[in-house]
Amino acid sequence: MKWVTDPDARRTLLAEQAGALISDDLPLRANLSVLENAAVVLQYRRNQDYDSAADEAWTLLSRLERTDCAFKRDPDLDTEERFIAKLTRALILPQPIILIERPGLLLPDTAYPAFLDATLARVEDMYEQCWIVDYPWNEPLYAHR
Amino acid sequence: MAYEQPSDLVSRAGRSLLNWFASWRSVFRFAGVAIVEALTPSVYNSATRSVVFKQIYFTAWQILPRFSLFSALFSFVLIAIVVDTARSFGLAGYALEVTIRMLVLEMLPLMTALFVALRSGAATGTEVVLMHIHNEIRAMEEAGVDPLRFELIPRVIGGTISVLALTAVSSALALALAYLAMYGFHLWGLDEFTRVMANIFDPVSIVVLWAKILAFGLAVTVIPITEALAAPQKLFFAPIAVLRGMVRLFFVLMLIEVLSLALKYI
Repeated sequence: MKWVTDPDARRTLLAEQAGALISDDLPLRANLSVLENAAVVLQYRRNQDYDSAADEAWTLLSRLERTDCAFKRDPDLDTEERFIAKLTRALILPQPIILIERPGLLLPDTAYPAFLDATLARVEDMYEQCWIVDYPWNEPLYAHR
Repeated sequence: MAYEQPSDLVSRAGRSLLNWFASWRSVFRFAGVAIVEALTPSVYNSATRSVVFKQIYFTAWQILPRFSLFSALFSFVLIAIVVDTARSFGLAGYALEVTIRMLVLEMLPLMTALFVALRSGAATGTEVVLMHIHNEIRAMEEAGVDPLRFELIPRVIGGTISVLALTAVSSALALALAYLAMYGFHLWGLDEFTRVMANIFDPVSIVVLWAKILAFGLAVTVIPITEALAAPQKLFFAPIAVLRGMVRLFFVLMLIEVLSLALKYI
């Protein structure tokens, strides 16, 4: 956990980290589906063709048990699906650190500590560390960690 | 009541002038980057190729039947007017050359550029300004995808190819219609037609025509994109950015046309 006292402290912390960031400030590409949003990272970074990149994205979505949202675009997603899409995009290439910034903002209608635990457990071999950036007044929510 | 001092007016005019220069500098800078990137083979990975193909599909292929029909109708009406007028003045011998010079060298490239600007330039500008305002561009950077190479340059390449292709189609149709208007469905006019073509399309005319169409193609995507990227990240600036892009694009298209005319005839 990374506790931040105010928005300036949050911005300073994020600027200093090099992990894959999952944040409300970093939206999905609106005219691409969830699958394409993740696949495009492989297409661009590894010059993979679309089919093989989409296969890998589909496999990741399967592990997260959310293939139902694979062909939806951002405006059609609920907040959990949008979080899963951002997580898929962040993890499609192996990452040492993933940084989830203000999960309460990403998952406003979800009991998010339990949801995060369950979701991250499905892909725990794909990152080395997961940091959650939140404000200290939300500390009781993470008492189980 | 406070009156504006002359010095305030001067400094405001100076600021406006500097902003004007800065915006033009960003247009030329982005156009330069786009040309260099378009000629760089490493830009063309599977992701950028798919955006180029989509851009060509939506800008040229999707509208090809309707555009061909419209340009054929437009060409046919103008050819009929010119041929009929030339005949009535006893200048039928010049009708073909005048028609083709007017249509293929001047009107069709400009009409195609305006068509693509209205259809795709406005759409591209709107999409890019919304991407910019919603922070999607930064999100792509964070995901390791260069937005310039993935989203912007492919649109410029696709838009330019589309303008070239649509101009070629409309020009080919105009040439065929001009032949039919002059000689009907007969082959005996082919020699004269070929001679007139060779007379019109000398090397200088071809170079100027290509340069003009390429400039049109670059302008219809580069200008709306540059204006979109310069907009502040507030939603209510989106229509202003699109409007500014389209107005500037109109003036640039006209300027390119006037410059090409000046190069040829002055």
